[in-house]
Amino acid sequence: MSDNKKKILEMLAKNKISADDAFRLLSAIDGGEGRRESTGRAATAVKDKAKYLRVTVLPNPESERSGNYDRVNIRVPMSLIRAGIKLTSLIPSEARDKVNLALHEKGIDFDARNMKPEDIEELIGSLSDLEVDVVSKTGESVRVFVE
Amino acid sequence: MKRPPVLMHIRIQAERRAIGLWLPLFLLLPLALVVFIILSPLILVATIVLWPSGWGKRALLTLRASVDIFCSMRGLCINVHSGRQSVSVSVV
Repeated sequence: MSDNKKKILEMLAKNKISADDAFRLLSAIDGGEGRRESTGRAATAVKDKAKYLRVTVLPNPESERSGNYDRVNIRVPMSLIRAGIKLTSLIPSEARDKVNLALHEKGIDFDARNMKPEDIEELIGSLSDLEVDVVSKTGESVRVFVE
Repeated sequence: MKRPPVLMHIRIQAERRAIGLWLPLFLLLPLALVVFIILSPLILVATIVLWPSGWGKRALLTLRASVDIFCSMRGLCINVHSGRQSVSVSVV
């Protein structure tokens, strides 16, 4: 039993709160724990599922036939992205302030110091939904996706 | 603990010439271990000296993070083809 549940039951026993209030508080705690558990399960499932971040640039068929084309195929393991994000915590504070300032100037309010391990997992998990598919006028296509 | 990569394949092609290189990363690991053991007293002294400034802890964590990044490289594949030139790097 969690500490919060114990405290609620103690308050009920001491008649500090009514039975209805205790029920409402216990339900709120159970709901919160359930949500946290399901989020954790989802993050684990995504962690197991998504293995690579893929970036591909494919030429249009005509230029491919002529032999003068650009093609890019990059496959980055998710574990490498995870390790890279964790490395940001080792950036010296002076350098980090400069990075934050540069990001702020670009309109991005992001501080790597506030990144927690669970945030990293959530970020990686969110990447599994990412799919960018761009086709240019010349017929070249750029795809960014997770597999 | 993640398994470290075993091989790295680099292939560079320019016009009609192509160079392919298989790097046996598994041979580097015992070598890195020996270098680490030899340098460990120096690393220890440097860590103790730098600890009050906060850089000692950071250096140790960086070392660990570097190993973590190296072990995470398994599966990395970069393939770039432009005109008649192409570069391919894959870590197995």
